[in-house]
Amino acid sequence: MNEILKIENLSYVYGKGTPFEKVALDNVSVSFEKGKITGLIGHTGSGKSTLVNLLNGLYKPTSGTVYLDGKDIWENPKEISKIRFKVGLVMQYPEYQLFDETVRADIGFGPRNLGLSEAEVEERVLEAARFSGIGDDLLDKSPFELSGGQKRRVAIAGIIAMRPDVLVLDEPAAGLDPRGRREILGSLRDYANRMNASVILVSHSMEDMAHYCDNVVVMNSAKVYRTGTVNEIFSDAEGLISVGLDVPMISRVAKELTSRGIALEGELYTVNGVKDAILRYVKEGKR
Amino acid sequence: MISDITLGQFFPGKSPIHRLDPRTKIILATIFIVAVFLASNPATFLLLAITTVVLIGISRISMKVILKSIKPLVFILLFTAILNILMTKGDSAPLLSFWVIEIYTEGVARAVMMALRVIILIVGTSILLTYTTSPISLTDGLESLLSPLKLIRIPVHTFAMMMSIALRFIPTLVEETEKIMNAQKSRGADFTSGSLVKRAKALIPLLVPLFVSSFKRAEELATAMECRCYRGDKNRTKLVKLQYKGIDFVFTFIFALIFGGVICLNIIPYKFDSFGLIYDIIFYKV
Repeated sequence: MNEILKIENLSYVYGKGTPFEKVALDNVSVSFEKGKITGLIGHTGSGKSTLVNLLNGLYKPTSGTVYLDGKDIWENPKEISKIRFKVGLVMQYPEYQLFDETVRADIGFGPRNLGLSEAEVEERVLEAARFSGIGDDLLDKSPFELSGGQKRRVAIAGIIAMRPDVLVLDEPAAGLDPRGRREILGSLRDYANRMNASVILVSHSMEDMAHYCDNVVVMNSAKVYRTGTVNEIFSDAEGLISVGLDVPMISRVAKELTSRGIALEGELYTVNGVKDAILRYVKEGKR
Repeated sequence: MISDITLGQFFPGKSPIHRLDPRTKIILATIFIVAVFLASNPATFLLLAITTVVLIGISRISMKVILKSIKPLVFILLFTAILNILMTKGDSAPLLSFWVIEIYTEGVARAVMMALRVIILIVGTSILLTYTTSPISLTDGLESLLSPLKLIRIPVHTFAMMMSIALRFIPTLVEETEKIMNAQKSRGADFTSGSLVKRAKALIPLLVPLFVSSFKRAEELATAMECRCYRGDKNRTKLVKLQYKGIDFVFTFIFALIFGGVICLNIIPYKFDSFGLIYDIIFYKV
């Protein structure tokens, strides 16, 4: 198998033993593959962010195990910080973590913590900046002078510069304009392919999921509701709606068409897929 | 984790203590503190200990939470208790004598009472105020109690507002700190090992973003308040008006009785600690 990160029977409880006790994850098992982009969707409070924080050992599981390359990441708790270089986590609104004097220095913070030489750090900074679409002219500016979207990209570059085998992004496109979304999410495929890395993308947007992901994990009230390829997940619109989620807009259009006697077939969750399906239908109809 | 600190945390509930008027609770807590410092013999301590236990029972706050709040004090308590035991000289023959160490009954008694005093003080006031009163109603109560000061032009309302904003943002700041810490840990930052200089330097990636976002938040809050026409307490009415109810009078009455009891019991002679009382108040105030 091509899987790199696997979690088994993972549970996490907040504030155990206080009146605020809350089960955030309940016996979750799921695995992530190399070179693939996996989407993680779920209603607010379904446990997505908790799961993400468990993946790189920021939280310690209440029970269950996280395996990276077949090894339990908590096998040696003192070495847990090394795991974080391998599982790169981009938190929600990562622009708040910027602190250094220049963009260059800020992106280089991770690699420098890895203990690399200055030359290597510089090489990684340039590489990560290119991946995330940061122009060379920005590298010597202060991160606080940049626009929101640029800051976001610098923060993502700061993680990519560590060249993690697993790149986890928690809502990387939240609050960005459509162009910013496209640029940031588009670069993820590039990263997954070139590094043969596993990318995990947490998002609320069904359109983004359908467009950028290979596999999807659907979470619902602290549990995994369903896993599968994008096709499998989005063909079950009722299931998604029943857990408070939605299907991409275009899927609904396709569904309405089908219910009115226009039987479409194919990838009915992206605009292009539906377009092709309609064209096919029209051609066949003419014949 | 930072968020595990419980001292000074509010636990919502519907117990009689939760329902007391915040002004009553502030007054009762003051009476309680004075009573604890006046207590000077075992009988008074027993009375106060019973009061505390009853308060815990009424408030329905779990023992676990209370024990957790005392935990950080264990070291200081032990340290002062040992000092008390070793340093106090009594009139009678020593209880135990060994090399230069001489332990007297008086020392042991004083150590126990000192520890009791601190524990009762912390638990009692926590139950009366912080655990059962939301920060908002606490500042409301303070503002109302201090409002006579307005006559001499002290801006009581402004201070109360400042206090409630500060209290309101403590959890937010803790959360923010944790978030940024996690973000920097994800980039391999290490906050816990290395020399002192290295550790101080490791705080820069935490403090800079924290300050930046705090300033930003302060500005946003000010704008939001102005957008809603906040002008201090001029023409401002309250949504929830504080009002004394029957239960407030009942509690005040009971506390008055306890306070009277403490003073009466103190008169019962308790020979060797009559001087120690003053000593304790001066040196072992919490």
